[in-house]
Amino acid sequence: MCDDSGVRKRVLIVDDHEPFRAVARELLEGAGYTVAGEAADAAEALAAVAADAPDAVLLDVQLPDRDGFSVAAALAAADGPAVVLISSREADDYGRRIALCGARGFIPKSKLSGAAFAALLE
Amino acid sequence: MASTAVTASPSREVARDPVLLLPVVVAGGLAIGWLGVHEQVSGTRIAADLALAWALITASLVVLERPRWRRARWMLAAAAFALLGADLEWSSAHTLWTLGFLLEGFWAAVMVQLVLTFPEGRARSRIGQVAIVGAYAVTFGGQLVGAFVSPDARDILSVAPHASFAHAVDRAQEISGVGLAALVLFLILQRLRVLRGPRRRAQGPLLVAAAIDIATGLVWLGWVIATDAAASTAETIERAVTVSLPLGVVAGIAWSRLRRPEASELVVELRTEEAASMRERLALALGDPTLDVAYRLGDGRYVDATGRPIALPQGPDRAVTAVTAGGEEIAALVHDPALLDEPGLVESVRATAGLVLDNERLAAEVRSQLAEVRASRGRIVAAADAERRRIERNLHDGAQQRLVTLSLALGLEASRADTAAANALSRAQDEVEHAIAELRELARGIHPTLLRDEGLEAAVEALARRTTLPVRVRGTARHRFSDAVELAAYFVAAEALTNVVKHASATEASVLLERKAGVLRVTVTDDGVGGARIAADSGLAGLSDRLEALDATLVIESEPDEGTTVSAEIPCGS
Repeated sequence: MCDDSGVRKRVLIVDDHEPFRAVARELLEGAGYTVAGEAADAAEALAAVAADAPDAVLLDVQLPDRDGFSVAAALAAADGPAVVLISSREADDYGRRIALCGARGFIPKSKLSGAAFAALLE
Repeated sequence: MASTAVTASPSREVARDPVLLLPVVVAGGLAIGWLGVHEQVSGTRIAADLALAWALITASLVVLERPRWRRARWMLAAAAFALLGADLEWSSAHTLWTLGFLLEGFWAAVMVQLVLTFPEGRARSRIGQVAIVGAYAVTFGGQLVGAFVSPDARDILSVAPHASFAHAVDRAQEISGVGLAALVLFLILQRLRVLRGPRRRAQGPLLVAAAIDIATGLVWLGWVIATDAAASTAETIERAVTVSLPLGVVAGIAWSRLRRPEASELVVELRTEEAASMRERLALALGDPTLDVAYRLGDGRYVDATGRPIALPQGPDRAVTAVTAGGEEIAALVHDPALLDEPGLVESVRATAGLVLDNERLAAEVRSQLAEVRASRGRIVAAADAERRRIERNLHDGAQQRLVTLSLALGLEASRADTAAANALSRAQDEVEHAIAELRELARGIHPTLLRDEGLEAAVEALARRTTLPVRVRGTARHRFSDAVELAAYFVAAEALTNVVKHASATEASVLLERKAGVLRVTVTDDGVGGARIAADSGLAGLSDRLEALDATLVIESEPDEGTTVSAEIPCGS
């Protein structure tokens, strides 16, 4: 899951639901990632990426200020960190938007695990 | 709402009444006639001038019955006086001769104004105004300049007598007169071409007479210029021909009146015949092809025969006449204001058409109410859809979000617990997963998110993927439609596919989406047992309000053993 080199990948968790962020943090840390920070909306997320330069972003599709697709597209356009989208909906609910936004992939929240996350980042 | 022509107050009207001018013109004519005889002017010429002056004043009296033609009435009277004034040239008294000289062509300019502004007294175009001003400038202005340079001993205004210059002024007047006459002729012919209905009847005779008069005038002016001759004979002929103008005015009034019995006959038919072409019938009866009927509803709004709301026009170009039945206004006739000149005409139609129009109005009211009901149903469905969307979002953002977090937390704890506790936690997590799945299906049924974001085809394709038998989606409905149309089409497909899965025992199904001639057609076909129908409590029956609000139709074909085809046609604009 984590690099054998011993350098733990730093991940930013973006979701407006605090209890979910706490569970996600435990899942990712249990899988050997370092959680570089948490953000509750798109504006905080973009500021945190600029400030902390994480290696990856776990990004919820439904944010209070913008949708996750547009944040993912903005990060991809700026050659930013790898993005893994998550949502309480299924991939089918979003059609082609997941493929078109520049993210590495999509995980339904109920299927989130360190392994699923790592598989998309490889 | 009935329009009436505005009339001046009685006292002012009497003071300005041209009837009082009649004895003046008659006496003036006799005096001029005596002058002509005394000065040995030819009898034919005297007769022509008196005939024209008296014809003009008679026409101005006939026009009295048309309040809206007030200005035309005064122009006719003014032309009569100007004509008699011009004949003062026959006098040997210097002052009278000079006055006659100044007025020589003035009456012709007044006639130009009459013809170009007939009957309301307003010029219809800038070029018409130019022609009128030009006519006064050439006649009166030309004579005034001529008076200053005329070598004639009787001219009391002559300050610098100069024979050749005075001759040049004459020629300039004649040449510009030809140009002006051609322009006026052109304007008259143009007007004659567009005149229709009551306006043609009222104005046509005068305009035709004027056109002939000008054509004749052009010939004699051309002859005068070409031969450089004095033109007394030609002038006499011209005046005689001009008598046709006041006759044309009177003929226009007579022609309009002829319409009255014809109109009442047609209106009698109105009582018995189908009222489907009510507008055409009334237009025919009143001789006004531009006529429109506006039905008045109980709430004061006006609608056309199809029930569509319309606004009554305002301004001088259209007139509105109210039709009443039993003291209540039931309709308004929107027509050419020229019809107001024949009050009896509109009145006869108004009286007889009342009953038929009342029936028409009731039909229009029903159509209008139907349209309102449909619009209202559309608004109710749209409001319900907005509410469904809100509920769907709340389910996702609230309950589902918390359940997902709970499920993940249970999984996390299970991974850390001892075996017995881990088993219990895993079972709990499974239950939560089931709850999440059921909630997701419920939310999708309430409002499909993908439909709003990606459109009909993507949403139906996702629907097909979730269906438990193979479903082929075909068609070219990538186009985006209104929310109401997309939702209706989506729910038809969703309900039909649900029925296929539940009842059809089919091995496969297909969904066809087509857009053609303003209609979106959704066809769901299966190869199942057939024999299906729309049960009153089924999901498809539940769509009836939604479909009827869009004026859509739903058809089901389902012979036993021949599969089932559910097809909806939804009007979707262009």
